[in-house]
Amino acid sequence: MSWLTFHSESEKLAIDAHLAASNKQYDRSLELYRRAAEAEKRALESIDPSKIRTRAVTAVSAVALWFKGREFAAAEQLAYAMLADTTVPEFARQELRTLVQAIWTEAAKQTAGVSFLPGQVTVSVKGGEVVTGGAPLDLIVDKVQTIQSLFYRTIEFLQGVAHRRAGKPARELQEACRPWLFQAAPGSYQFSVAIQKPAQIDLFRSEIEPSRIASYFLDVVGASASEDVHRMEALVPDSTYRNTFLKLTRNLAPTGKTFEQIELRGAGEAKPVSLGIDARMSINKNLRKPAENVQAVPPVEEELRGTLRALDLDKDWLDIVVDGVSNHVVGLEEAVDDVIGPMVNRAVVVRVTRTTGKLKYIDIELAE
Amino acid sequence: MTKEKLRIDALHERHTGLTPSLSGSFFEAASVCLNRHHATPVEVEILRGETRVVREVDFQAPDDRMRNAWANDIDTTEAGAYGVSLAAVEAEESLVAVRRAETLTGADWYVAPVGVTADDLETCLRLEVSGLDSGNRSALETRLAQKIAQTKRGKSNLPAIASVVGFEQRAVAIRRVEEKS
Repeated sequence: MSWLTFHSESEKLAIDAHLAASNKQYDRSLELYRRAAEAEKRALESIDPSKIRTRAVTAVSAVALWFKGREFAAAEQLAYAMLADTTVPEFARQELRTLVQAIWTEAAKQTAGVSFLPGQVTVSVKGGEVVTGGAPLDLIVDKVQTIQSLFYRTIEFLQGVAHRRAGKPARELQEACRPWLFQAAPGSYQFSVAIQKPAQIDLFRSEIEPSRIASYFLDVVGASASEDVHRMEALVPDSTYRNTFLKLTRNLAPTGKTFEQIELRGAGEAKPVSLGIDARMSINKNLRKPAENVQAVPPVEEELRGTLRALDLDKDWLDIVVDGVSNHVVGLEEAVDDVIGPMVNRAVVVRVTRTTGKLKYIDIELAE
Repeated sequence: MTKEKLRIDALHERHTGLTPSLSGSFFEAASVCLNRHHATPVEVEILRGETRVVREVDFQAPDDRMRNAWANDIDTTEAGAYGVSLAAVEAEESLVAVRRAETLTGADWYVAPVGVTADDLETCLRLEVSGLDSGNRSALETRLAQKIAQTKRGKSNLPAIASVVGFEQRAVAIRRVEEKS
């Protein structure tokens, strides 16, 4: 039997496994991936060692198939064996190292003693002060917090919970669906976020599929940064939720000072949702759609650049210090806790209008 | 004069590496993506460097079942881009998908000249595909440049061919990435 025979068998099984997963037949998909991995391992054993590229691609494929079949021990063993082989070319070594790290992450999740909903999201932050494997702590803490808020908001939106302006999500939701942070494969600074599976799955309304949360979260982030404003309207028809998603995504996007790009990738997705510096412009375009009742002479807008020093959402005001002078801004009706709260004591840009000496709030975003 | 066709249906009949079910899946996804912006048939530009060819694509108007099955935008755009890219490299480069190999995040497709039996991957071109649901011509060109850079980066798995599909733009940009290019 030749490489071709075994590899062809593996290809067909892998295609069927992929289609089974698309049709939500997860157990069948796992079984097919394992059979595909067995066939690919035989293909690897049959290949003429002089065919360096074919052998390298087949090795990566076999490890990836064991990984997708959740046979982590077999995947890890083969990956190490191939990495120890000095004839394996660099492109394959890179892919094998990435696979090894993904295997560790998945194995860590298995031993964590809790179950996770399908659809882990890997986040990578690139450029600026970020280096491979390292990033400023405050930057990462801030992004993790924003991603957590986006996940909670996504779950609340899908559950049909009324839009929350202040405070945290319901305790039962926080306890049942805690986002977990995992180390992810190397490359810039990467981490992955998985949602802990609720002990009682009926926490979700019957028509909501828990596995949809991660993909909906990614759709929302992608649509927020899209130039097509109708995409976000179609995805999130409720304008209060839509504005909150847009503002949280804007908090996630880079200003270009500390980092230049953030990418979010769903498990098994080849293409990430990417937010660059220009994403803020698209989000602002989405947010600044013309109001339905436009005044004859619209008030002039101003931008205040300074530090957000104080905030009271119950009384609808904030204080921003600009060049040592405190400015009191009122009318925060649209501001929500998880968007504006993390901005306290940080450099911000507040858009306001000035009428009879009073500063009226329009919008706020991070300046750093 | 009628335009030459770009056949995105029944790809498995010409691309030996595809199964009928996967070919059907690519066709459905491409139909959903094209139908978001256009009605069938639609003219699609295929750009290869300075060369520009226009072909006509027939696609299936999706029903509710199809739309529900392809509700995830990211998956749909990716699968649709594979369908259109494979049809474009077949039509313009006489290359067909012969083999596939798994990676961490999906699978790589390998293409070879029509009629060649791919007993191994030594000379096959790896196909790098990307899809854009919306965006202008400049976005398509930027994405192609990114794809080429990504394909060349480090000691990559070359030779390869990069393809970016813009569904709203009705355009496919293709570029070969060789060892020394």
